[in-house]
Order: sequence, then structure tokens, then C-alpha cells
Amino acid sequence: MDRKELDALLKLLRRHGVAEFTLEEKDVSVSVSFLGAGTVPVVAAAPLAAPPVAPSAAPASAPAPRPAGDSRAVRAPIVGTFYRSPAPDAPPYVNVGDRVRKGQVVCIVEAMKLMNQIESDVDGVVLEILVENGAPVQFGQELFRLSPG
Amino acid sequence: MFRKVLIANRGEIALRVIRACRELGIRTVAVYSDVDRHSLHVRFADESVCIGPARATQSYLNIPAVISAADITRADAVHPGYGFLAENATFAEAVNAHGMTYIGPSPEHLRQFGDKLSAKAAARAAGLPLLPGSKGAVETLEEAREVARKAGYPLMLKAAAGGGGKGMRVVEDEAQLDKVFVLTSTEARAAFGSGAVFLERLLRAPRHVEVQVAGDRYGNAVHVGERDCSMQRRHQKIIEEAPAPSLSEGLRDRIRQAAARLVASTGYVTVGTCEFLVEGDEFFFLEVNPRIQVEHPVTEMVTGIDLVQLQIRLAAGERMPFEQSEVRLRGHSIEVRVNAEDPWKLTPSPGTIKGYHAPGGPGVRVDSAVHEGAMVQPHYDSLVAKLIVHAPTRELAIRKLLGAMDEYVVEGIRTSLPLQKQLLDDPVFREVRFHTRYIDEWLRNRPG
Repeated sequence: MDRKELDALLKLLRRHGVAEFTLEEKDVSVSVSFLGAGTVPVVAAAPLAAPPVAPSAAPASAPAPRPAGDSRAVRAPIVGTFYRSPAPDAPPYVNVGDRVRKGQVVCIVEAMKLMNQIESDVDGVVLEILVENGAPVQFGQELFRLSPG
Repeated sequence: MFRKVLIANRGEIALRVIRACRELGIRTVAVYSDVDRHSLHVRFADESVCIGPARATQSYLNIPAVISAADITRADAVHPGYGFLAENATFAEAVNAHGMTYIGPSPEHLRQFGDKLSAKAAARAAGLPLLPGSKGAVETLEEAREVARKAGYPLMLKAAAGGGGKGMRVVEDEAQLDKVFVLTSTEARAAFGSGAVFLERLLRAPRHVEVQVAGDRYGNAVHVGERDCSMQRRHQKIIEEAPAPSLSEGLRDRIRQAAARLVASTGYVTVGTCEFLVEGDEFFFLEVNPRIQVEHPVTEMVTGIDLVQLQIRLAAGERMPFEQSEVRLRGHSIEVRVNAEDPWKLTPSPGTIKGYHAPGGPGVRVDSAVHEGAMVQPHYDSLVAKLIVHAPTRELAIRKLLGAMDEYVVEGIRTSLPLQKQLLDDPVFREVRFHTRYIDEWLRNRPG
């Protein structure tokens, strides 16, 4: 994607009032978020590397791991407050039934006033959202259950 | 008083703080790394938050994670324990900036005493005796030579930002100074981020005597007696006692009063330790530890003062609850640090504790966070327990301690106890003829 195409894309997104946009193709990856009235500034902090998924190693007070079966989990890579959307009045990043791709932003975990975008480390379809919007989450806590694929 | 305290630590000190908070009616929040989820501090705290993976830099040393855990649990104060973030001024500032109280001195005092040169400057200003040497950092070799000629050899060349026995070199003469001056500065820059070095007289056989001190926000400064921590192995204390044995009463008083004077003159708040080297009838300021120390229980045993509760109360803005004249030392207390390590090779010995029985009886105290089935993690400090005894006299304390050590069963890992047993039985310890390098010399000369 060259500069001209990017400008055109930004214009298009503005015209339609899109708050957040992610595009991923084979050799390009674009992530855009507009900061405006009513939106929470999103600090595009590089998400910390997600911990290796170890179903038997859930923190003691975190929700007990479900029988893994064919599903997989997106876990909190940092401790903080869980938000499903980039702003209080913005739509959630993902809903149950949505297809999620590896690297796609699925939620925010706020730590020390910084809004950290959390990416899925797997591909899949959202089966279950395990944490309430605005609830505190611990390191390693399961946030989403995805079906494989 | 605080409502809820987050404890930014693990192991026995986290349990110690939980106990103090419980008695003060304060709720507690434990933080833990994912390998510590079954630890006792997690079990005994009112709430707990997993803050990261095993590696300390990503969990117990991770300032955003600790602050975030305090935020989500709505703690109103943070206790740093010792080690980890306990002397980190940036962390104390972050705690304060988030509207919570840091249970320790101010960030300014942490900075002042974290740097050896500014600590010495504060001690000099308070009239404390310092080792002969350079007044501040030594910039050039020429300057170092001149300082050395005045102070006299042998000398220690030390990194201003160093600590824990790292970043220092013994210099016997000028030829050696020429050889190591630039090297030490370069090493200091690489290890501590600052190349500043200074020179001070090397004492051949000093004792390490430290004074427990406390200050409140209203200008009250007291000492809570002294401890002797000369029994060190590679600069790590392994046997500590209170009061310091075989000091003339005049010298003991001068040391205690010097420490209290430093607290008063710097306006230091909460508890801390002022460390000195003692040789003959002279004593010299070494450094200030602006936190609770591992060996604080021996002072608690002889004074009856709960130092962790005192620290919390002073941090909450209370007045000093006693006067200097009310601090009285009764009997003698000795602590041995039970480390998970090979007692002779001194290599760490992590693993699962297969069998465990702690000693007991009158005057025996064990501060520990281990139990049968506990995993001693390879990721953290090797201290697994502190065994403390209290008896009317030093001789009786040694006897009680040897008995308690015989009762102590720790199976599945190796501990330092066999080393400490031999040392306690050694006439040099019994007759107080030791100094800070004694154990290292004793180990070198040991047959086999």
C-alpha cells in the first residue's frame, strides 16, 4: 500500500465515521484509531507477548479452566481493567460468534492509566466472553474462549 | 490508618507484613507470579492478584503491574518488603502519584541513601565519623593517587551506585591503583549505569554493627538498639544478633546516638537501619538501608517492639508511640538465615520440600513461608526461613539455637544449616573474635 492509497483509505474511514479499523493482508497490516469526542485515547502500546497457553496453569483465583475440548483461550498478558471497546460508547471489538484472526485486537486492558490493546494470539470464532466489561483481570486470566479455525 | 495494604513481595516477608496488618485491622492484597500461586502469602492474604510470569522483572519488579494490581483492588498503601522494589525511588513515586501511600521513606530519602556519595554527605553533615578517603567521587587517576596518599593504603575503591558487595576492589598500593582505577570505573558504568567511584580506607578485620532507627513526621527520631551482623559469607549476612556483644558501653552509646542523630538531621520517616563498621574503639558510617531488614526480628525479640507495625503506623502519619527512654533491651537474640543452598559449595538448591518440621518451644521463633510440599523456586532469593531465638544471655541463646537447629527438619533440598551449626559451635563465635571476613577465611582454611 502506498501513501496515496493510505490517504484514500483514511478519507473513506473518516467519511463513514469509523472509530477503529484494522486491515491485514499477506504483506501489509494497517491499524487505525480515530481520537475524537467521546472516545478514550488509545495508547497503541505494543502488547506484551502473550504467555504460553497452559490450560493446567490458571491462577488460583482466576476462573477455573474449562475442559479444553476443542476450544482455546485468549488470556490477559498483563494485570489491569478489562474493556471490551475502545470507548464507553463505541461498539465492542468482538462479540460472540465473531471470527477473530491472530493479531486482531479483541479488547483493552488498562494498566496505570494506559490503554493496552490486547491481540488474539490464535485464529478462531468467539464462543464465550468470560469477563464483564470494566472488571479487573489478573495476569494469565482467560478472557475469551475461541473455537479453533 | 490504612484500610487495605498491597504487599509488593513474596516469601516470609510478605507473610510477616500480612501478620502485622491483621493485628492492625488492615486488609491485605498479595501479588504473585504464576509459579507462586500456591504460596502461603497468596493463601493468607485477604485478596490476591497474579501480576506476571516467574521472571521477577516481569512480575515482582514490574512497576506497572504492581501499581495496576493496587489500582484494581483499591489498596490505599503499598508495602515493598525488602529486596525487589524496596529501595526504588521511581516505584515510591509511582505509588504516591496514584494516590496511595508508600510504606517507607520518601522518594527523596530513597534517592539520598541509595547513592553512597550523597549518603556519606548526609552522614558527614550530621557529624558521623566516616572512613578516611575521598570526600566525593574521584574523577581522575591523579586525584585518586593524591587522596590515597593522604588516607593511606590499603584502600577500597568503590562504585558510588554499587551495593551488596558488588562494584568494589581492594587496592594495596599505588601501583595497583594505577592498574585498577579506570577498570573499576568502566565496570561500574556497565553494571550500575554510573561510572562514579570513590576511595575509602580498608579495615582489615572490622565488625559490622547496625542500628535500628525510626522517625516520624513530627521530628521525633529514635534508635531501637543495635545488631551485630559480622557473620557474613561473601558479604551476605548469615547469622545476626542483638544486642551487639562485647562492645564497651561508651562505644555502644556513641554508635546508637550517631544513628539517631542522622535520622533527626535528615528528617527520615518510618523505620530504617544505619550501618557502621567497628574496629577497636572506633566506628565509621557505612550506609543506610531505607527499609525493613531481613534481620529485624532479633531487635523485636529484645525490645518487644513490632517493627513492621511501627513502620506501617509511622507511614500512616502516626506519632512515634514511645520515647527513647522507653526503649529497653532485654536478654539476647540470635537469628540464622536458612538458605536453600549447598552449605559447603554454596550453590543454590531449589526444589520441592519433601519433609518439613520447624522447631519450637519457649523463645524460639520461625519466620518462614515454606511447608511440606512447598516448591523452593529457582527464580528468587534462596532464603526459605529465619530461625530466631531469645534467651536471657548470649550463651543461653547459642545453646537454645543449637538445640532448635537440631530439631529443624528440611528434606528434599539442601540448606545452609550445617554450616551455621559449625560456626555457632566455633570458639571464635562464642568468644566474639569474629569480623566481616571471618567466615570466608574459615571456609578457605577448612580441611577437606
